[in-house]
Amino acid sequence: MHSKATPIREDGIYHSFCGLVSVGWLYQKIKDSFFLILGTHTCAHLLQNTLGVMIFARPRFAVSLLEESDLSSSQPDIAAQIEEIKREHHPSVIFLLSSCTPEVMKVEFEGLAASVSTPEVPVLFVPASGLDYTFSQSEDSVLQALIPFCPPAPPDDKRVVFLGSVNDAIADDFSLEAARLGIPVAGFLPASHFTELPPIGPGTVIAPLQPYLHKTATQLRNERGCTVLSSLFPFGPDGTRRFWEDLAAQFGMRVDLSDREAAAWERIKHHTDLLRGKKVFFASDTLMELPLARFLKACGAEVVECSTPYINRRFHAAELAALEGVRLVEQANFHRQLRTIAETKPDLIISNIITTNPLVGQGTVAKWGTEYCFLPIHGWAGVNNLVTSFTRALQRHAQLDPLGSDPIWLTGMMPSSPGGVISLRS
Amino acid sequence: MRLAYWMYEGTAHHGVGRIANSMRNVHAVFHAPQGDDYVNAIFAMLDRTPNFPAMTTSVVSGTDLARGTIRLPDTLRQVEERVHPDLIVVVASCSTILLQENLEIAAQHAGLQCDVMVYDANPYRMQEIVAAESLFTDLVKRYAQPQPRTERPTVNILGPASLGFHARHDLISLRRMLKTLGLEINVVAPWGASIADLRRLPAAWLTIAPYRELGLRAATYLEEQFGVPALLDAPIGVQPTLRWIERLRELLAQAGAEIPMPPLTAFSLDGMSAPSAVPWFARTADMDSFSGKPAFVFGDATHVVGITRFLRDELGMPIAGAGTYVKHQADWVREQLTGYVDDLLVTDEFQTVANRIAELRPELVCGTQMERHTARRYDLNCMVISPPTHIENHLLAYRPFLGFDGADVIADEVYTTCTLGMEKHLIDLFGDAGLDLPEKREGVAVAEPAPVAPPVESSKPLAESPVAVAVTSAPAPSQTSPAAVTSAPAPVDPVWAADAEAMLKKVPFFVRGRVRGNVEKYARQRGHAVITAEVLLAAKEELGA
Ligand code: SF4
Repeated sequence: MHSKATPIREDGIYHSFCGLVSVGWLYQKIKDSFFLILGTHTCAHLLQNTLGVMIFARPRFAVSLLEESDLSSSQPDIAAQIEEIKREHHPSVIFLLSSCTPEVMKVEFEGLAASVSTPEVPVLFVPASGLDYTFSQSEDSVLQALIPFCPPAPPDDKRVVFLGSVNDAIADDFSLEAARLGIPVAGFLPASHFTELPPIGPGTVIAPLQPYLHKTATQLRNERGCTVLSSLFPFGPDGTRRFWEDLAAQFGMRVDLSDREAAAWERIKHHTDLLRGKKVFFASDTLMELPLARFLKACGAEVVECSTPYINRRFHAAELAALEGVRLVEQANFHRQLRTIAETKPDLIISNIITTNPLVGQGTVAKWGTEYCFLPIHGWAGVNNLVTSFTRALQRHAQLDPLGSDPIWLTGMMPSSPGGVISLRS
Repeated sequence: MRLAYWMYEGTAHHGVGRIANSMRNVHAVFHAPQGDDYVNAIFAMLDRTPNFPAMTTSVVSGTDLARGTIRLPDTLRQVEERVHPDLIVVVASCSTILLQENLEIAAQHAGLQCDVMVYDANPYRMQEIVAAESLFTDLVKRYAQPQPRTERPTVNILGPASLGFHARHDLISLRRMLKTLGLEINVVAPWGASIADLRRLPAAWLTIAPYRELGLRAATYLEEQFGVPALLDAPIGVQPTLRWIERLRELLAQAGAEIPMPPLTAFSLDGMSAPSAVPWFARTADMDSFSGKPAFVFGDATHVVGITRFLRDELGMPIAGAGTYVKHQADWVREQLTGYVDDLLVTDEFQTVANRIAELRPELVCGTQMERHTARRYDLNCMVISPPTHIENHLLAYRPFLGFDGADVIADEVYTTCTLGMEKHLIDLFGDAGLDLPEKREGVAVAEPAPVAPPVESSKPLAESPVAVAVTSAPAPSQTSPAAVTSAPAPVDPVWAADAEAMLKKVPFFVRGRVRGNVEKYARQRGHAVITAEVLLAAKEELGA
């Protein structure tokens, strides 16, 4: 990963979201939590619309709404709202998320959280504002806030802690797989409940399951002296094998999962056949792009560009090495991406929920990258979900009558472009 | 400060985006943190836009704060280069407005060919509706030119906009009626209008602006400034539509154009039937029960007034209450609903509306998507009659709210929503009424402690379906119930061990049934009599469950 793997850095004018969106999965993962955002109408509107698909009448997140009259006070008073939340929702922990306006106002969040925190119901500050955090990055902030609540483990407690929020079914898969290999498990960070956080100490091996958690990993290494596994992330047969072999090595075991990997590839052969030689363009924003692109490369696809918001040299080292030769872009410029797409004519674009429909409208095959934050694609059990998520879009579009991509079918669909132009493919 | 869960209106920059995305060759640029770009997603998802929504965020990051406008000129140049707009509207966000920067100067630095308008929308003082209405009015004032009237009588339609509630459908309905009257359209705006179209607005003989939320002020301006008469009523329901047509003909007659009234059947879809089935439908015996079904109506101003009157005047339903979140239109709504509603609820706090609904327990709630959630919570019937909407409200078929066609659509919606309620009462009375919903079974199974499968019982339908699991762990009588016996599957069926059953519970409920079936098939093929966690895992790996 020298000259070739050096990412290009652009000006970051692309479509995306802020860190508040990770509330969407975190409040479901940590079942006794409440997420309070100190923010404005904008933040509330964002949450409503991005989490709209899962709107409930009593969500476990809310916005403490700053209105015009609140802008002058430097330290807002949220005590009454915290009481209201406790009364209505009975959480074990409240996460207090920052947003842009209070950050511009220079609200002192640590102190604010401390002023309403109690030993019974801690209130933890989570930096998440759109000025500094994009998409999944704020999960990293939430997990950092949880670190002080992980009990210390003695040095001779040599066990693994899996890092990253995954659903309970995936967590079970990983526990069972570890047991099968003889790897002792201390737990998951985050656990399903605030009260079940795993013990962490110098003997702990942190095994990251998600690629956007480098701050938590670094802090754990510095503060608790634990080891952070440096390997591929457990996506796809290649990544999963490396992950488990490297993890076993941390426990002094040499395991050979080559048969397992070969069998997994064999099972998805008709999918990889379809992907081989296909040109794929990553223009999504979830920070899961590197391992996904690496998997597609291993499938034989040609990754023409992998754009991702940020790359961390150390945390992503193994993925970067595996992506040698692939064009990597950080903080991409969307207008330039469109030009590259027009030039390279990819067979499949992984984009985000903002750009996917319009990209399809321009005659390309595009799919939501956002889905990868929710799909069970980890480990051996996730291989099939992972590969089919890519081939489904290709197969579905191939199946549809090509007559349907005549611009006539887009006419009048959008007031600002009434003619229904298909431009990128022409 | 207050605790907010859901908002009725979007933000000011969303309102600006709605105008930009409605118009041809107009682009909005948000001087904002990256996250404020989320409004693009609303257009791309709810409107399923086949092109990129006409808005770009010029990103301000934490490190830029001290020199916030640094990136704006370059973003403006990039936008001009890619989309060649006639006009770019620049707007600040809730956070960047606090920096009190001079966006005019920054915009000038870009040296653009196209028009640039820095729109001063203070997000703490205005929200989506006022921001959109004010921007649209400003644009009309800026571009509308004095000019002679069109030779033949023509009308403007102001108000339909991107993400407007059933806006495309309403527009079709209006066009159909105007066509039947033999009238031509001068300009529709902002929907599909260019800057050149805004210039042509004063050439019309009449302006139609059916929505209180958007187009009203521009229509009034055209009347005051250029003498183009404005028809500001919303034709919601059959009688209001008839009156609307009358008024339209009157106004045109005053302007010097006698528009003959065709036979009413000319307004129907086939040109030879009643234009709406509502007047007869309302008189059928079927509808008698509706006189005992009180309705509560909440939403924007236009739809709350239109729907409340329609329910009472045309369907004969009692009105339990009504309210609106559009505070600046509250007086108008109150006046329009005199005699219909005594105590109009005016609030933009979702909890207050929820509490009112909980108090009233109406038979029918007509509201926004938030009231749908409230209605679900209290088990009430609900239909959506106003924004904000859910993707489910963005359907493909022609579903206008305006005109004769709209009256049929609304009546159908009321009828199907309430009928379901009647079935529900039957279900309440007679148990599940044989419906036996899969989700319900799951619910039963989950509520029980994880049943351990006794091997001797393996010929029972223990593992066949969640309901069977629940039945076997229920009190004795149901074990011998005929249903359980007759549905007994082949004896080779595998049994679920407790650990596997527990793991299965963690699979999301909507795919759980499928996973269960696949794993059982796998176990059967492999000859596993008991599905343990190991077997489940192997199966998931094999099948990619
Ligand atoms: S970018 Fe900032 S202001 Fe916008 S929604 Fe995110 S946190 Fe709120």
